[in-house]
Amino acid sequence: MPSILVLDDSPTMVMSLSRVLKNAGYQVETGSNGREGLNLLNGGSKPNVILTDLNMPQMDGIAFIREARRTSAGRFVPIIVLTTEGGAAKRDEARAAGASGWLTKPTDPNELIATLKQLLPK
Amino acid sequence: MQGSTEASERLVCAVLAAQVAAMRDRSDIEALLDLVWRAIETLATLSHLVTSLAARVPGLGDSLLDQSSTGVADAAAMRASLEALAFLETQRHDFGRQVADCVVRALESLAASDPPPGGRLTPRALCDLYVCEEQRRVHDSAIGRLACGR
Repeated sequence: MPSILVLDDSPTMVMSLSRVLKNAGYQVETGSNGREGLNLLNGGSKPNVILTDLNMPQMDGIAFIREARRTSAGRFVPIIVLTTEGGAAKRDEARAAGASGWLTKPTDPNELIATLKQLLPK
Repeated sequence: MQGSTEASERLVCAVLAAQVAAMRDRSDIEALLDLVWRAIETLATLSHLVTSLAARVPGLGDSLLDQSSTGVADAAAMRASLEALAFLETQRHDFGRQVADCVVRALESLAASDPPPGGRLTPRALCDLYVCEEQRRVHDSAIGRLACGR
């Protein structure tokens, strides 16, 4: 069963994302900011895909992506940004940091699952 | 006189910041979402039960079998709709919370007696607090309207 690491500072958002992903057959790990995500990666977590918000306390999404790309668990894993931000500058910044994809909130569950399926090995 | 007006305006900003923060903290949809997710799970359980019963009970008849498979299909469609609704509402709520955060931070900055690092809040500096394009569009539209009204 593929596993997804979800990072978002909103507990409600984490809960809803977890439900949608579990109903679609994925295992889910969660963190409330980039620092927690990094600790999970350094602590042995090996997600197949990472879904991260941008605006989070302690360590934001861009800093997380940059740091995750320096870890062995996060070097090649697809990282999708799921955020309210839609600006081209932020997208470019995320891409330069190593993001693999971008979804703007609000996104519907079908779009999210379709994006994940494209990134996961068949 | 000028100093007293400024102090009063700072106080108004501080009170408004507290009001918006209270509104943001009260707008909790967790209980509602929990109910929707439980409804989704209940529909899944009932669909599974109906499917199992239809397979195990002999002599149900074509009409009941048709009705049960239609019911299971309807329940699956309802589950998908409820899931989309819950997920979209969560994201809209999250967006509202972030916009409220921006307003609170801006009002707190205006309420400060000493200018924060970088100086007093300006319309340009306000843009640094935004979290999405929608806020920037509203900002530009408001600035445009105000410029026309001068």
